[in-house]
Amino acid sequence: MTTRKLHLDEERLFECYVATRSGDVLDPPAAEHLADCPACAAQYAELSGFMEQVRTEGDAEVDALFTAERLRAQQQQIGKRLEHVGRAARVISFPGPANGTEIPSGQSRFAVKWLAAAAAAGLFLGAALGASYEWESHARAVGHIAAVSTSAKRATHLTPVATRGSSPAAVADDDAFLSDLEAALERPRTRELLPFDQLTPHVRDISTQR
Amino acid sequence: MSVDLRPFENGARAGHDGDTDASPVVGRAPARGRRATPAQVSDDSRLAIEIRGLVERGELEDARDRFGALVAVHQRRAVRIAYQYLRDASDADEAVQDAFVKVFSHITSYREEWPFEVWFTRILINGCLDRRKARHRRDRWFVHGEIGSADEARVSRSGSPDSSPEGRLLARERRSRLAGAIDRLDGRQRTVFMLCHYGDCTPREVSVITGLKESTVRVHLFRAARKLRALLGSHT
Repeated sequence: MTTRKLHLDEERLFECYVATRSGDVLDPPAAEHLADCPACAAQYAELSGFMEQVRTEGDAEVDALFTAERLRAQQQQIGKRLEHVGRAARVISFPGPANGTEIPSGQSRFAVKWLAAAAAAGLFLGAALGASYEWESHARAVGHIAAVSTSAKRATHLTPVATRGSSPAAVADDDAFLSDLEAALERPRTRELLPFDQLTPHVRDISTQR
Repeated sequence: MSVDLRPFENGARAGHDGDTDASPVVGRAPARGRRATPAQVSDDSRLAIEIRGLVERGELEDARDRFGALVAVHQRRAVRIAYQYLRDASDADEAVQDAFVKVFSHITSYREEWPFEVWFTRILINGCLDRRKARHRRDRWFVHGEIGSADEARVSRSGSPDSSPEGRLLARERRSRLAGAIDRLDGRQRTVFMLCHYGDCTPREVSVITGLKESTVRVHLFRAARKLRALLGSHT
């Protein structure tokens, strides 16, 4: 009769649930009590119902996301990645001169002359064009100041957005960069600047407020 | 390089950004006197030993073929664990792939005294913890969009066709509340809860995976369940 008075506490009930789920044998006194006491049995049923619901919902969510097709695709992807394991990286040789297309010596001297002349002409033309462009741009600079200032005003409305690179290399770079940032924040000299940093609005704060 | 030997490394980084995942949960060597020697070698462990032999003999093609069977056995469970950790299908997908590739690359360091499941789960969870930490760090600095919105849409679409929009909305709310509640668990509690609940591990197996005492695992599991009930009790 004394066992009826001492109800199983939450921890004992949970132990019973874990034992049942793991396929272990229930503690005999606890099992006996559960069979005899309707209050504890009801509590046990409520507890195991809650736990099962949490599990079922979690599993259902994952099963909905990872369908059989997706799992098959994942297996194939793993297979592809495994093909590269244990294989030495392929080295692509630097392209060398094509064989059998050498210009005969008489012709080559002639070609070299023409090449040098063309290069000199190109250089002269480039220098002349560059000089004239510089002269014109200097003359127009005053006229452009007003237009530039208005476009600059417009540009200030655009907020730069930091985006996350999608390639693994970009993500690794991001991580390395962020590690450096955090290491810099930990330095003693940087710590003194932190109050000033707190006075400055951060993009992340604004984005979370939205 | 060995993949599963990261004793206390996470602990050294703990607290640096307030991420509770950094607690030294996974990666410890098993406690002394509690060797994880199974009474009999399971099928997957036997297969892993066979693959190891093939790799050591240089028969990589055969090893890859045999490894496909191991992937098939552990894939669904791995995906469940990884998704519950990362709450993002693409991340979970990559984490599972990485874990399998890592296992194959380091199969020669696999030892029989570890059940294959334990070894694999440790590698997977360490990968998930690293990803969580990297994501946490990115979120601190970058403006980011809603990660799980596409996943959520996919889950909602896959619901039973006769379910009403209200039903779908309620289910969605329940899911997000559950995810939020699990996220609020302490790092160790979360790991123990996920391994037991979603990874179908017994407290003894979790003890081997995490290196915690079995009694400690049970305590963490109970506390996690109690906290979840307190957080979700009135809504389930």
